[in-house]
Amino acid sequence: MKKRLGIISLFTLLFIAFIAIWNYSYKKGLEEAYIPITNGTPVLEIPSEKGVFTRSEFALEYLNMPVDETHQRSLETYYNNRAYPGAPPSIPHPLLKGERGIGGNACLQCHQNGGFVEKFNAYAPVTPHPELINCRQCHVAQKVETLFTASNFAKANAPKVGVNNALLGSPPMMPHDIQMRENCLSCHAGPAAPKEIRVTHPERINCRQCHVPDTREYVDVEIFTRTNSRQND
Amino acid sequence: MPIKSYLAHPHSGKKEQLIQALSSIEQCEIMPAQNKEVLILVTETENESEENLLKEKLETINSLKLLALVSGFNTPKNN
Amino acid sequence: MYTSQTNRRSFIKKMAMLSAMTAAATMFPGILFADQQEEGIPNSANLDWKKGPCRFCGVGCGILVGTENGKAVAVKGDPNSPVNKGLLCVKGYHQTMCIQSKDRLTHALVKKNGQYIKTPLNEALDIVANKMKETIEKHGKDAVAMYTSGQSTIPEGYVASKLMKGAIGTNNLDCNARLCMASAVAGFLTSFGADEPMGCYEDIEHADYFITWGNNMAEMHPVLFSRMLEQKSRRGAKIIDFATRTTRSSTASDTSILFEPQTDLAVANAICYEIINNGWVNRSFVEKHCNFSKGLTNMGYGLEDNYKFKDKPSTIDFEAYKKFLEDYTPEKVAKYSKVSVKDIKYLAAIYGDPNKKVVSYWCMGMNQHTRGTWMNNLVYNIHLLTGKISQPGNGPFSLTGQPSACGTAREVGTFTHKLPKGVVMNEKHRRLAAKIWKVPYERIPAKPTYHATEMFRAVDRGDIKFIWTQVTNPLVSLPKTSRYRPGMEKDSCFVVVSDVFPTPTSDVADVILPASWHIEKSGLYGNSERRTQHWDKMVEGPGETTPDAWMTIEVAKRMGYGDLFPYSEENHVEEIYNEYRQFHEGAKHGMAPLEVLKKESGVIWPYVDGKSTQWRFNAKYDPACSNGEDFHFYGKPDGKAVIWQRPYEPAPEVPDATYPFWLNTGRVIEHWHTGSMTRRIPVLHKAMPSAYAEFHPEDAKALGIRNGENIKIISRRGSCILPASINERGLPTKGQVFVPFFDENMMINDVTLDAFCPISKEPDYKKCAVKVEKA
Repeated sequence: MKKRLGIISLFTLLFIAFIAIWNYSYKKGLEEAYIPITNGTPVLEIPSEKGVFTRSEFALEYLNMPVDETHQRSLETYYNNRAYPGAPPSIPHPLLKGERGIGGNACLQCHQNGGFVEKFNAYAPVTPHPELINCRQCHVAQKVETLFTASNFAKANAPKVGVNNALLGSPPMMPHDIQMRENCLSCHAGPAAPKEIRVTHPERINCRQCHVPDTREYVDVEIFTRTNSRQND
Repeated sequence: MPIKSYLAHPHSGKKEQLIQALSSIEQCEIMPAQNKEVLILVTETENESEENLLKEKLETINSLKLLALVSGFNTPKNN
Repeated sequence: MYTSQTNRRSFIKKMAMLSAMTAAATMFPGILFADQQEEGIPNSANLDWKKGPCRFCGVGCGILVGTENGKAVAVKGDPNSPVNKGLLCVKGYHQTMCIQSKDRLTHALVKKNGQYIKTPLNEALDIVANKMKETIEKHGKDAVAMYTSGQSTIPEGYVASKLMKGAIGTNNLDCNARLCMASAVAGFLTSFGADEPMGCYEDIEHADYFITWGNNMAEMHPVLFSRMLEQKSRRGAKIIDFATRTTRSSTASDTSILFEPQTDLAVANAICYEIINNGWVNRSFVEKHCNFSKGLTNMGYGLEDNYKFKDKPSTIDFEAYKKFLEDYTPEKVAKYSKVSVKDIKYLAAIYGDPNKKVVSYWCMGMNQHTRGTWMNNLVYNIHLLTGKISQPGNGPFSLTGQPSACGTAREVGTFTHKLPKGVVMNEKHRRLAAKIWKVPYERIPAKPTYHATEMFRAVDRGDIKFIWTQVTNPLVSLPKTSRYRPGMEKDSCFVVVSDVFPTPTSDVADVILPASWHIEKSGLYGNSERRTQHWDKMVEGPGETTPDAWMTIEVAKRMGYGDLFPYSEENHVEEIYNEYRQFHEGAKHGMAPLEVLKKESGVIWPYVDGKSTQWRFNAKYDPACSNGEDFHFYGKPDGKAVIWQRPYEPAPEVPDATYPFWLNTGRVIEHWHTGSMTRRIPVLHKAMPSAYAEFHPEDAKALGIRNGENIKIISRRGSCILPASINERGLPTKGQVFVPFFDENMMINDVTLDAFCPISKEPDYKKCAVKVEKA
């Protein structure tokens, strides 16, 4: 009797242990499967200007940017490739990776770091926004030269070079908007930069220390005159 | 076509004279530093023998204290 | 790749030249070749270039101004200046454009029946002198006051001090540097007994780490920041940004650490805790060169009129200090500072690593702080504990915001308690001043009177009946202008304003005196790194504009003090400087003779035996060290620096349910201080036409505010309407609003709080509580 009781209690004990362990592991399993819900979506917490300082990993050294005069672009070809100043440039060459190539598999291979491309006999312009990889959302190829119907669209005049400084020899102001083009050096430095706007001192990095935007012309900012009025009066 | 670049150090206070002397030599191109006593010299000659002649010429300049070679290139002759 | 031979040759030549330039740059840091700035200047332009310091911030860049036919037409960086090595910022390049502004004050204006009447300068000066004399006769010496500036030249500050303290005999002289540098001064004096940084800008070329405390150097000290960026790309030096707001500097730095306003006190203590706890203390340095002290706590915030405070320091030992720090373990501090334990330990490890050279930079974030003096002390503690001080590439460096905050406000001493050497409370210092000024020693009062904030409170109360402001715009720059503007408008006080342009301050003046701008007069400025710089007059000013120093002298003469001011109009700058130099004779503060300053692009004091002293207190560089050790902190009688026990205390006004946001104010790169100059430069005004209020995107979303929409910021003191700016120039932390203060049409200082540091009396513009409404 004693023996039987012992065996029964042993099994009961084992059974209880089994239930406890099973329960515990079941709960654990549930826990692992549970994905906590975070409240709210994180907002981009970086000022829009940060692009000024970002560079791609294998970008050219500031101090050793070669100048190759036979393969440089000019401002004319630069603006010819855009529908209007500030428009996303179109793709002026056949797509090397075919129609389905995207981002890092295709365009960014040349356009992230830049460099000479034998096939097109040119240096690849560097993109100011490599983090946006759906390139062809904005940049389209030019397959034909003809138009569907004639258009009256008149291209606005591109800003001029060499007329943007306020004093003799003072650093020129930026005559264009910089949205999507916060990284100045992608167009203004390196062998792919149009020769007219290639900067002599890319290593300075903090471009907006000396060059401030002059884009507010469009909203017609008057010369500062005192009005004697405070807005909060 | 040897092309070489040097850092040319003048004797103290003789930077102007050195600039004068070097810029009078045809094969030399100079770029003086604005705020230091040193200037960059790039020489371009047709061949080795001309290069040697130039070197002798450079050595006779009094205001030159030290000429330090930085880089040298040799391009094919057919030009 | 096909290239023609000729092109290939010129390409190789360029490469050869480039490699030589690189080699030269490694051998001679800061070397400059043919100036690209000059390329834009046509050869036909026959410009006459003259050197001087920049008019704007405390960095003190050397500029060259090109004049043609008596007009300033171009500005470039002075390649010989060790400060900027030929580079300037956008303000510097365009500075001379403001003098041609159409609303320039060219003649004296005297208010008669509510109208400003153009008056000959001589008559206006008569009125000022008579009014000053009359006020003194009727109400006593302490009823007249002068409020000058960290932008005054050394001679201007000197004659102001001599007139008020030496001739009239009142300490009613303070300056706007009280609003920007006072905490730095109090920090230096309490920790080292001698004002101004021990190091110099050359530290940048030696340091491995730059830690910036609440300081957006990319916009506020851009030329120095460029020097840091250069070291970052060249040597891999690291920039750590420790701030309450994500700025242009944060995005350019290697690490950006954000903290909750006011908790910098706790984080600094936590860093010290970690340094001690990990055994990173430089024991021999601390034993030989440091004492430990504590002062009073719960000092209050100076919000009430006539607030008085005097610290009572007492010596403690290392064990007591260690015990005190136990309240500041990284774990405890992380809870309220919102800085992670990891980040605190990371900062401590940088300071603690004996093989890494660290420079700390700060400016208004730490100085405009109700515990500004403490905060300065705490950063010195970190550098003293680790012995990383007074050596090339190692040291704390307090930056200044005004071109002569050091040279004039601090060295000449245009504060109520200061004399050109020492303080009014010290009999020896008073005797020296009396001797050089040739006045009876009893005339200089031994008790300081009003500091800036209290001075304008006294104007409001009616205690001050006459005030003369020079080179400053207090009704835009003071905190809580909502009180001080009506205060100055009262008839009880006669207001004289000397300025170059009309400002909200000149709007309330009874007499407006037309001042010469920067390059229209000769002068001397002293920058943050103790560099004294001289410039000669370059162009003629319009109308009857006159240098401020000369107007002060003219008034002094009219008041009957002519014999104390025997200077000539043509040569007064030189004569005054030579007299002033006598105050600082000796190895500890010797100033360079004028002939040297005329030749060189500035010279660092102490200037001993024809040499600048770049690192003070270090026997290797500083001839004033005399204790036979490696270091000598000779500012203190026992030659030892002080490590201060300073706790964390909360800000006087913190966000609550009604006023849920912190308000932080500051500057932008395009504008300098109250914008009276930079807003008159078309380039800069177009780039930044008005102030704005920065929000965190989540706060903006919660409030339903869109970018550019007008919003109203309201505090217990006043309100201000501005356009919102979301994710543009900068990004405040959640629960914080940032507004630049340059815009006189959107006066954010109507909203700010006039609480100040009880020790330095410097107001805190960085923290008060506000609520936000759509306008």
